[in-house]
Amino acid sequence: MLRGYLYHLQLTLRLNFASKQALVYGYLVPLFFLIAFGTVFRTGTPPLLHEMSQLITISALGGACFGMPTALVAERERGLWRRFRLLPRATVPLVASTLTARFVLIASAAVLQIALARLIYGTPFPQHPALFAGAYCFVAFAFLGLGLLVAALANDVPAVQALGQCVFLPLIMIGGVGVPLAVLPAWAQAFAGFFPGRYSVDALQAGYSGDGGGLSLAYNLSALLAIGGAAGLAGAKLFRWDPGHRPPRGSAVWIAVALLPWVAVGAGALGSGRWRVAASPSDRAMGLTPAQIDSIDYRGLPPDDSVVTPLVRSIDGADSDQRARLNDLSGKLETWAPGRVPDATQAIRNLLCVAAFADLNEDPLEGSIARVVVDHLFAHFQEKQLTQSLAWIVLHPDDGTVPASMPELGLPGDIDGGIVRERSILYAKKVLGRIRGRLPN
Amino acid sequence: MRAGPVKQAIMAEFALSIRSLAKRYESVEAVRDVSFNVSTGEIFGLIGPNGAGKTTTLECVLGLCTPDSGSVLVQGADIRATASEAKSVIGAQLQASGQPDAMTPRQALRLCASFYRRAARPEDLIERFLLGEKADARYSTLSGGQRQRLALAMAFVNEPEIVILDEPTAGLDPPARRELHALIAAQRSAGRTIVFSTHYLEEARSLCDRIALIDRGVLVAVDTPEALLARCAAVPRVEVRTRPSLAEGDVKVLPGAVGCAYDGQAWRIETAAVNRTVTALAALVESRGAELLDMQIHRPTLDDVFVELTAAGEK
Repeated sequence: MLRGYLYHLQLTLRLNFASKQALVYGYLVPLFFLIAFGTVFRTGTPPLLHEMSQLITISALGGACFGMPTALVAERERGLWRRFRLLPRATVPLVASTLTARFVLIASAAVLQIALARLIYGTPFPQHPALFAGAYCFVAFAFLGLGLLVAALANDVPAVQALGQCVFLPLIMIGGVGVPLAVLPAWAQAFAGFFPGRYSVDALQAGYSGDGGGLSLAYNLSALLAIGGAAGLAGAKLFRWDPGHRPPRGSAVWIAVALLPWVAVGAGALGSGRWRVAASPSDRAMGLTPAQIDSIDYRGLPPDDSVVTPLVRSIDGADSDQRARLNDLSGKLETWAPGRVPDATQAIRNLLCVAAFADLNEDPLEGSIARVVVDHLFAHFQEKQLTQSLAWIVLHPDDGTVPASMPELGLPGDIDGGIVRERSILYAKKVLGRIRGRLPN
Repeated sequence: MRAGPVKQAIMAEFALSIRSLAKRYESVEAVRDVSFNVSTGEIFGLIGPNGAGKTTTLECVLGLCTPDSGSVLVQGADIRATASEAKSVIGAQLQASGQPDAMTPRQALRLCASFYRRAARPEDLIERFLLGEKADARYSTLSGGQRQRLALAMAFVNEPEIVILDEPTAGLDPPARRELHALIAAQRSAGRTIVFSTHYLEEARSLCDRIALIDRGVLVAVDTPEALLARCAAVPRVEVRTRPSLAEGDVKVLPGAVGCAYDGQAWRIETAAVNRTVTALAALVESRGAELLDMQIHRPTLDDVFVELTAAGEK
């Protein structure tokens, strides 16, 4: 008996690897997402560390809620599952074997993403591999349960696409999976607490970078277990072996059973305060009090004309070649993506890093480049925002990310992120001191 | 299969016994009070037009649908109580049963065989059902006939005692149909009970020991092909075309003729004595100096039987 199920598992995997379409959706699309995320977030320190859980969630979601039900429904349409019902053995383990095969496929795609992220961007491996693997099992369980329900409800393959999108798109757009929660409006952040994507991202992140362990992790895993269990139960109850059969009466009740944990975990999290609406760093910066800002000590800052964090008063003394280069840099800063991210504090930090980079590169125009950056800050941010964000950067030196390289601005080389961060904080103090009247302007 | 002494006695006689089977799909009564027995070693045909209830009857036997009332006994045991045992002695080929594009016939047979305690070797089935050439080819590259042969091979994967084939030749071209006929007929020598449905009546006549005629969910008749033909009230018909055409007065009085009609080209003569009518007809053509262009003899077929019996049912 076991022989049959094992052969079915082996054959399902083998057929998957023989299908170009399955390989494209199973491996090429996750790779595409990795490159897309890498392009946007490679400037983080370390790169992609805080986005890997989102990436892996997207791949698991795609494989479990699109790939698996598409394969299941296509097989049902061909009469394969009807044929299985003629077997003298139980047919339920055949569904389990299909789910197991899909787990192997999506897990292998996750391993591939982790390995390639390391290879291409230098993203570290998960800090707690066992915890990460365990959390991944919960994530896969939740999404495979949802995938089974999609397969049970869809009458044909196009219907899988439609139903799958109903799950996929909200999770990606406002569920904290594709778009970081911090940049979403407050209502969307609260809404995300009702979606499994948020629990998936946070549970995986606990294994990847160690953020959010303990009780928070326990809640995330319980939420995934409840969502996957209810969806799997509903999917099993509504599962159709025959292509001619339509969803039975009472389907709506089982759909309600599947959605109940979404409501329960969301309400529970919001009610308990576990999912407080996450403030973006900019919002948090705006919460700093004048007293906190005034507590910043400016003593010991290197003078503006020293070799560390130089800052000229004006670029008027530059010759024409130098001026041309500085004008070019100024123009590039206008469209430089890290300087335009939605999180204002992070954008300001990134811009300060440009000055820090020129300083550490011992660029002949280091002081002038710093002046271009400072002028850009004053030109593009309101004084209130700039004050609060600079103070936040100084008071929370380990917060946010710093770019590791910026060749697109004509500043070559890779510099250790720690040193860049250190210098950028010194520049932050210099600018803030001037705004607060604590340093001569 | 396990069975008590009484059931054992039934077992010896009937491989399959269907009693008062009824199944309704919403407003459609698919099968109504259908009963028949199939003896061990018999080739039994279930005949009827599309939508007659053949597939529903077979699906009830296979456990793919649950009858509203009635029972199905496989070797004397009710399948509701012994579904797993029944499935292990039954092999089935279903209508519209495909495989994944990338799966090969060898893999499909191996997968199917791996679920049975007693199973034929896939290699033997590949040889027996003439799939050697395509044994390792993707399913998507198989022709309609090859796919049907694979479906048939899968029905025999568990060395079944009872084989159920649902329209095994539907959609096949005549050479592929003849090939399948030979494969089905070859199973007779293995002593297997075969039940198959078809809407090709002549196919059933040439292959079956007995035939059940089913129409609009109701069993119209069950008998041997010969006995069914004997029941037919229709008489043989001679069609003759001459130049110039024969006179009505001459044709009407031909020996054995019980009726005649002229369609503008040929005479259709119904006769109770084919030999006498044809002999006299030849003499008549000669005596009138006419040229004989065409002459055909049509004997009643199962189609006639079916039309007659279903028309009687309607009345």
